[in-house]
Amino acid sequence: MARGLERHFGSGDDVVKAVDGVDLHVEPGEIFGFLGPNGAGKSTTVRMLTTLLRPTGGSARVAGFDVVHESDDVRRNIGVALQDAAIDPLMTGAELLQLQAVLYGLPKSRHRERAQELLERVGLTAAADRRVGTYSGGMRRRLDLALSLIHEPSVLFLDEPTTGLDPMSRISLWEEIRRLNNDGTTVLLTTQYLEEADQLAERIAIIDNGKIVRRGRPTELKAEVGSPTLFVAVPAEMHDTASTVLLQFGELRPSSEGTLGVGLSDGPGAVSVVIRRLDEAGVHVRNLELHEPSLDDVFAEATGHRLEGAGDGSQSETVAP
Amino acid sequence: MSVEAPLPLAPTHELNTVSPSIRVASFGLAKRNVRGIRRLPSAFLPSLVMPVFQAIAFSGSFFAITQIPGFPTDRSINWFMPLAILMGSGFAGVGIGLAAIRDIETGFYDRLRLTPAPRTSLITGPLLGALGRSFVVTTLVMTVGVLLGARWNHGVLSVVPLYVAGLGIAAAGTGWGLGLAYRFRDMRAAALMQLTLFIGLFLSEAQTPLYVMEGWLHTVARVNPFTNILRLARQGWVGEITWENTWGGVVALVVISTLTMWFARRGLDKLGD
Amino acid sequence: MTAALVTDPFPAPPDRPVLHTSNTAQTWAMSKRAILAMWRQPSLVIPSMVFPLFFIALGTSAFSRAINVPGFPEVDSYLDFALAGAVVQGVLFGSVTGATALATDVENGFFDRLLASPSTRSGIIVGRLAGGMAYGAFQTTFFMAVLLPFGLEIKGGPVGALALIASGTLLALAVGAIMSTMAIRTGSSEAVQGAFPLLFIALFFSSAFFPRATMSGFYATMADYNPISYLVEGMRDLVIGGLTVWALLRAILLPALMAVGGVALALRSLNKRLAAS
Repeated sequence: MARGLERHFGSGDDVVKAVDGVDLHVEPGEIFGFLGPNGAGKSTTVRMLTTLLRPTGGSARVAGFDVVHESDDVRRNIGVALQDAAIDPLMTGAELLQLQAVLYGLPKSRHRERAQELLERVGLTAAADRRVGTYSGGMRRRLDLALSLIHEPSVLFLDEPTTGLDPMSRISLWEEIRRLNNDGTTVLLTTQYLEEADQLAERIAIIDNGKIVRRGRPTELKAEVGSPTLFVAVPAEMHDTASTVLLQFGELRPSSEGTLGVGLSDGPGAVSVVIRRLDEAGVHVRNLELHEPSLDDVFAEATGHRLEGAGDGSQSETVAP
Repeated sequence: MSVEAPLPLAPTHELNTVSPSIRVASFGLAKRNVRGIRRLPSAFLPSLVMPVFQAIAFSGSFFAITQIPGFPTDRSINWFMPLAILMGSGFAGVGIGLAAIRDIETGFYDRLRLTPAPRTSLITGPLLGALGRSFVVTTLVMTVGVLLGARWNHGVLSVVPLYVAGLGIAAAGTGWGLGLAYRFRDMRAAALMQLTLFIGLFLSEAQTPLYVMEGWLHTVARVNPFTNILRLARQGWVGEITWENTWGGVVALVVISTLTMWFARRGLDKLGD
Repeated sequence: MTAALVTDPFPAPPDRPVLHTSNTAQTWAMSKRAILAMWRQPSLVIPSMVFPLFFIALGTSAFSRAINVPGFPEVDSYLDFALAGAVVQGVLFGSVTGATALATDVENGFFDRLLASPSTRSGIIVGRLAGGMAYGAFQTTFFMAVLLPFGLEIKGGPVGALALIASGTLLALAVGAIMSTMAIRTGSSEAVQGAFPLLFIALFFSSAFFPRATMSGFYATMADYNPISYLVEGMRDLVIGGLTVWALLRAILLPALMAVGGVALALRSLNKRLAAS
């Protein structure tokens, strides 16, 4: 639970407010999604909540403990898998799990057992004695997840867990997250993928430029946006004419280059009428798509631009190391 | 922006209340450190070979200084072997700093900081690794030195000040290396670490005793604590083991190590800023 | 970076040999690139400039009494004695930079691209070597200039000083050529950097810092067999002994011979690579 969390870098005129007054409340046992584009402040917020970074303003409590004053207690009860799998390439998977067990204070008798359990769980038993430097990207992520679970934390933080993964791995990771959640683990995951937030999260918060712009259940948020969006691709010179026509049907919505988007306030049935009117106005429609309200619409409505959801994920946010 | 009323968090898991002790965490980290060094031959071998080479090269090249009237020994290997050992130990300490930079750059250091291990153990663990390395280097170079003709003049006791000085320098190097690593967080610190160690050690009685020096070097070496440390290390091989030769070096080691350890600890705290 | 090197900017009229002009132009461009690369990386340049000077500074103060030890030639100060060793040290260390850069070129394929064009073929090597030579000359001059105010006295006079510069330049060429051969053969900048400690060792097991007459045992024997000893002594005699034929022979002829051998090796490995590609 965070209240008024703030984090800025630099000072005076150069102040960059990476996180500007963020309030969050996550219920125990839920999966909470933290959605936003690159550079929005997601990772910075996570770093503050996981005691890696000191907030410059505000406070936060995780698992019942204050992140600044009771940081040891927080660390004992959270598991964290950050954006880049943090591993030591010279160690084997088994050795890293062993080290984690030691550093989390697990009794020596439990070390091997727990390591075995986790290796099986993430499917790395065969590779356990190989150096992590030889692991593929997906394997590293899985090991990272195992490392974060060694002490059976009640809260799990996942920072962009599926960025850069192939679809198969993504789906199996989603399943794993659901399984963990069913066992009672509270999960806070950050993502730039709408589908991920939609599929996994019970409640979400949308962040842009360091501020939370929307929060709530995905279904509720989508319902608020209400009407479906019709996207039409028209030649540039016809844009103004087309806009005038479309405005008769609802408000214009942000869309990508070369297209116009309109919210159909009378529902999807209006599509045929729209096409006829555009035709009458002499507008040549190259392509058209009808979208039910999505989180992208929610985002667009809240921030004025679309979330580049399918980003390559290789851009990193400017976070202090 | 609404502010939610605080709700008591009902844990569905039992809360963990255990943190590892400093001792346990330190040993775990030391083990990892040693493994890492062994598995990186490009860092490991040179750290052993260079001190041996230095002992040989210096005592061979600068043999002439033993002919200077009043030189405390007639075996140049006796004079230069301790220097090589201290260089090797210092670089073992600095190597810890380098390893820390690598960890910070890969993000592994975040993992370590996320654990409930006491912050002190993040320093004492690798420190143990450095001390171990220093011990190995001292033993190796001493063996080679003896094979090349080094002779102690105080029996077995002669090796003690040498080990002590080596361990002390390794500790100081560790603190310095880690402190710089935490401040710079990238490889720029590496050059700085090595350069400062090098200069500190050489602007002292490294190559010749004080009484032979002239001018600026004499002035600098007189106040340089490394002169005391070298004197501590050399006694037993060059001259007698006396309290006079000992206390200066020990004080210097304790003070420098304390300062650099404090420097490192502060830097570690500031990593979260 | 001058990437547009493959096209000839000065197309010559048909009755003139085209190759000659473009070769020079390309070589000049390559040399400039090599020099600029060095200039832009002070962290690589500092060890080859600062360290030798640092050691001389140390030695002059520390070994001031050592110069009176039996076996030491007549000198006013260790400074005069040590200049030659410092120059050799600086040139040896500096040559690693150029070769490392060359190896990097090989590593990332830039080298093979240059091979494709006939006008740049020899230009690659010559350019690097020319860059190295320029740097060697600069180092020698710089050292002498910096140390003159501190009491350096070159008994060989201005001619001796010029001879020293020539010596440093030729040494840079020789070592640069040998290291370049290594760069082309191995194609790995790590391997080339690995040669650095070997050079270091070779330098120490010689009379670079102290006269051979003051050494003893097997160490003295090693120094006797090390060609670097004779090179350094030749250069040194120009400083402390004066302008003599014997000194000039060692200071100039030795590196010249090494240079010829080194360049031959380099060209051969270049041709081998060409034949292979």
